[in-house]
Amino acid sequence: MERRREGRDASPRGNVRVVDVETGEEVPISHKVPVGPNHPILKEPLRIKLAVRGEEVVDCKVEMGYCHRGIERIMEGMPWQKAAFLAERVCGICSHAHNMCFIGGVERTAEGEPAPRGLFLRVLVQELDRIQSHLIANAAYFYSIEHETMFVWNMNTRERVLDCIEEITGNRILTGWNVVGGVRVDVTEDQLERVLETLEKVEEDVKAYRRIAQTDPLIKLRSRGVGVITKEHVRRYRVVGPQARASGVPESDMRLQEPVYPELGFKPVSRKRGDNLARILVRYDECLQSIDLIERIVDELPEGEHRRELEIRGGHVDHRVEAPRGELVYDMELTQGGVVRRVTIRTPSVPNIRVLEAIAPGAPTIADAVAVYASLDPCVACNERFVIVDRDRGEILYEGRAREVMRECSRTTSGRS
Amino acid sequence: MRSLLKRLKGFVRSRSIHVTVVNTGGCNGCDIEILACYTYRYDLEQYGIYYHNNPRKSDVLIVTGPVTYQWREKLERLYRKVPEPKAVVAVGACACSGGIFNQEGGRVCGPVREIIPVDAEVPGCPPRPEEIVSAIVEVVPRLFRAWEFRRGSEHGAEAGG
Ligand code: SF4
Repeated sequence: MERRREGRDASPRGNVRVVDVETGEEVPISHKVPVGPNHPILKEPLRIKLAVRGEEVVDCKVEMGYCHRGIERIMEGMPWQKAAFLAERVCGICSHAHNMCFIGGVERTAEGEPAPRGLFLRVLVQELDRIQSHLIANAAYFYSIEHETMFVWNMNTRERVLDCIEEITGNRILTGWNVVGGVRVDVTEDQLERVLETLEKVEEDVKAYRRIAQTDPLIKLRSRGVGVITKEHVRRYRVVGPQARASGVPESDMRLQEPVYPELGFKPVSRKRGDNLARILVRYDECLQSIDLIERIVDELPEGEHRRELEIRGGHVDHRVEAPRGELVYDMELTQGGVVRRVTIRTPSVPNIRVLEAIAPGAPTIADAVAVYASLDPCVACNERFVIVDRDRGEILYEGRAREVMRECSRTTSGRS
Repeated sequence: MRSLLKRLKGFVRSRSIHVTVVNTGGCNGCDIEILACYTYRYDLEQYGIYYHNNPRKSDVLIVTGPVTYQWREKLERLYRKVPEPKAVVAVGACACSGGIFNQEGGRVCGPVREIIPVDAEVPGCPPRPEEIVSAIVEVVPRLFRAWEFRRGSEHGAEAGG
């Protein structure tokens, strides 16, 4: 049954109405439930406004903008050495992907090739980062369906992966590991040995968790068939990352176009059902795949220097990598010597959170709507690229009002032209 | 007798602490390190500290991240919701000083202590879970143990004046 929303304000006293498209009748709403910005299962500030009939969710609206801190603006006029640290701090969970994407973009404008050993090491840390990010995503999902045992188990395994990252880069999160031309420090054989040893245990654990997720009746009850993202949704909302791969779109994996991965014989995984459970399982699959990739990287690690001097010539680049949550784009303009002139970041969570508005209505209960949200692996800190400010009144506008104002602005400007 | 009762109250209070974590615009790094405190390795719950995330029920407000303009009023409101006795712990360089975002172009309104009173600060970007655990475990029970006495003296001062 398709429904259409009318009215703009979904707040408790707002005027939102939900209309059935086929019959034209209004769907009755019994309550409006705001969730957030501070909520037990949300790590980050975000507000979800639900309109419900009894327990059934009939409408959902996501309000973002609490985390905007103007990173793109701060980056302007900074040399790459400083801006790389800022890029990392766009998001703390997939920090390495941001760092790698920024540095990769700078390198595209440089003369010469980065050191091959450096590139391999970069990918190695990227895969470790992916494992820990996926584990925390699944942990958050299990927490949202109140399966605390799995939450703690996943988090424990994640600690092991963080140990590996610390072994190689020297820090748990926010590593500052990539530099133009390669990586900051080289690794030794011993370190790699220890990493592989730890990963063996991680592999065992992840396999066990996957089996539990597949067979446990309680998890199945809460996850199978809930929050289905169809291919149509993927196309309309541009869903990326594991969320798209769980709906049977393996081509969405940007790793197919990155360097190094083809040499390792990389093939993306995918599942067909597109529900909560499929997303959880795809993440576990990818963890195991990443462990395979790491083993192969260690085998094929080229000898030689880990970092090369490159001369940055500057220009306009558009660089993409596959972050743990999906495709990440940095669109940058650099001067000669590597000072950032302008940068635009598009993070994978933007489309992934948007799709919630399409799939949450129809969730059987409010708790399920929140679980669907958690299963999308949202990262709000990445998202906030701009806020809209009413200058006359000096107030910040959120979703509903902001859209109204933007529409008005575009109407007046197009009217004038 | 009264002081014994007060001490008992303080002791009990310091052994059962509920925390609320608020991300006021940080990068998430600090939040996941706080989450990591709940794994077996660091196990914050063994000290009687529970992650609750309901400001009306909690004793400690952990704030991570620089305070963005959007959060300013909301943080004040959230702070008022927490019942007395309460403590605020600012975790991360962002919360202590505004960190990397507190420079030209950043849309943040500075350290947390300029907006609400802060009892403990844990610097680092992000601080390690050990540091977060030790900050909470050391500072917060001490505050709560003394609170009954402090309140008593305040009341006394009021009565005297
Ligand atoms: S202190 Fe560092 S890790 Fe923590 S929120 Fe700020 S930038 Fe992120």
